[in-house]
Amino acid sequence: MKKILIVDDEQDIVESLKFVLEAADFTCYTADNGEDGLRMAKEIVPDLIILDVMMPKINGYKISRLLKYDAKYKNIPILMVTARSQEEDKLIGEETGADEYITKPFELDEVVKKVEQYLK
Amino acid sequence: MIKILLISDDTNKIAKFGKIFDTSLYEYYLMTDEVMIQDIISSNTPDIILIDQAFENHKKINKIIKSICENAIIIYLISSNKLEKDIVNSANAFITDDMSEDLILSTVNVNLRMKNSLEMLSSSNKDLADSLYRLNAMYNTSSQFAGTLDKAKLLQYMAEGMDRALSYSLICTLSLCSENEPVLILDSLYELSDELISAIKFRTILNYNAVFEGKKQPFEIDIESLKVVKHIKNPSNRFTFNIFQYDNMFAQIALGENHFGFVEIFKDGSFTPDDATCFQTIAQQVALPLKSATLYQEIIETNAKLEKLERLKSEFISIVSHELRTPLTSIKNSLDILSSGKCIEITPTADKFLSMATRNVQRLSGIINDLLDLSKIEAGKMEFKFAPTNINTVIGYVKSALSEVAKSKGLILQTNEANNLPDIKADAQRLEQVLTNLVSNAIKFTPEGKSITVSSELIDSENIEINDSFKDDINNLSGKYVQVCVADEGIGIAQKDLHRAFDKFAQIENSLSRKEGGTGLGLPIAKQLLEAHNGAIWCDSELNKGSKFYFIVPVTLDK
Repeated sequence: MKKILIVDDEQDIVESLKFVLEAADFTCYTADNGEDGLRMAKEIVPDLIILDVMMPKINGYKISRLLKYDAKYKNIPILMVTARSQEEDKLIGEETGADEYITKPFELDEVVKKVEQYLK
Repeated sequence: MIKILLISDDTNKIAKFGKIFDTSLYEYYLMTDEVMIQDIISSNTPDIILIDQAFENHKKINKIIKSICENAIIIYLISSNKLEKDIVNSANAFITDDMSEDLILSTVNVNLRMKNSLEMLSSSNKDLADSLYRLNAMYNTSSQFAGTLDKAKLLQYMAEGMDRALSYSLICTLSLCSENEPVLILDSLYELSDELISAIKFRTILNYNAVFEGKKQPFEIDIESLKVVKHIKNPSNRFTFNIFQYDNMFAQIALGENHFGFVEIFKDGSFTPDDATCFQTIAQQVALPLKSATLYQEIIETNAKLEKLERLKSEFISIVSHELRTPLTSIKNSLDILSSGKCIEITPTADKFLSMATRNVQRLSGIINDLLDLSKIEAGKMEFKFAPTNINTVIGYVKSALSEVAKSKGLILQTNEANNLPDIKADAQRLEQVLTNLVSNAIKFTPEGKSITVSSELIDSENIEINDSFKDDINNLSGKYVQVCVADEGIGIAQKDLHRAFDKFAQIENSLSRKEGGTGLGLPIAKQLLEAHNGAIWCDSELNKGSKFYFIVPVTLDK
């Protein structure tokens, strides 16, 4: 089974993503902050990462950059979840390397479809 | 009394002239000593000087007199008509031995009158020159006043103007113009000791209390805290306490109820009535620009406050939208999972309420997106991708996207595009957003069986008809425009509400729109988007007959 890492400080969103992805036969790992997320990404080496932008400790853009510059992890697809907030606007223009952006509120079906696309 | 000086050592002449001038009209001197003559000419110049040609030293004395007083009236006493050459040029008149007493007096009087006339002329000339100089100084000061809105500079120009027009020893200006504290500005010819400054401060406070007696004082002023600014012209000299005995004048700097301060001027010498007029005029003149400067400052401050409020509002909307988005996502996700039937069985009733919840979550998320759009446009942060665009293509997209929705409501959505329309410089996606909004509204408010028509045309600015509700907002139109009209046969808008159609949340009072959904932000967004295109939007409507929404985008020549 393919492994998916979900990193978001919003527990409710993590839960709902986990529910639909598990229903679609993926194995899910979760982290509720950037630091744990980065550590787990390196430990587990998932097949895909769903990453929130605004998070405590390390933000999603930074995690994405750190992974994409590392030869060992750079092929892991990253779906970035954004709330289009002002703090995020300030980060716009920074190189993130993310493969796809999903804007809150998103359709769960669509997320599942996108994940399946990347892991075909 | 008329002062007559006779220079002669001839006893006959002395006796003769002594007799002629022995009346109360004349003050008569007789002198022969060079030094004494020199003294009297310099200290108390006689009106008429009679010099005896027979006097031995007369040439030398003549020279001395002329060197001290160039305009002295000299009459020569001669014994015959034979004149020495030097004398001809240096004398004003001549008296011969054989002239009668009357003739002598007449000669003297003619010269006296001439002297007086000359003096008057010269004095009025000087007055004229003084007035001209003063006028010029005041004119320069006025021009300086007109050139700045800086209050400190205005007071500086006032002191400079007074210096030019009046030449002072000391000017003490109490400025009440600055917001935080009064300032005593001392423009002084010489250095002022600390003791003298304390005395001036004390005097200023007495003046201040007198000016504001029985009125509310703008500031509490005491000697210790009163701030002093000194400008000393010549620091190597010092004033003493004698300065308080100098001639002085005082003026308030005020305009109606506005008190900007007052000014006191001291001078070693006396001020004339003209000086007083000039002083008062300058003090009055500075009050008006000070008032303008105060107003200008208030406007700047108000503007800064408004800008800050506007920014806070945008930030607030953006932050709130973000904060709403996250919980909304969780609600939506949960509803999606429940609706999918993967965790519970969906009964028809459950389905009804799940759909209701889903529909409203969608509506809420629409409002948040609109709010974000609007705050972005208003903050100037919305980015537009302008490119040559054919409006008929946009109409085509919107028609294909919405004709199914129209059909399901039993409405006919038709288009009527003009051929060969020129391209406009536009962000096609944003115009699509505008048109989608207009057509969706038309679908919402039009009853079954009726039709909606979207038409396009090329139109000259003179032929654009804008009704009175929007005329004031839309002006400065020129050249050619592409005009799009969305006409429906719906409920329409009352004439009195028409001008509010593009206001934020204007629909919220309309119960139908609440039933029909909608954020109340679609039209204000459309208006802002069109303004970003240098275009405009307006509408005509008749209650229960239908509405026509128009928008125009200019056809520009640059590609």
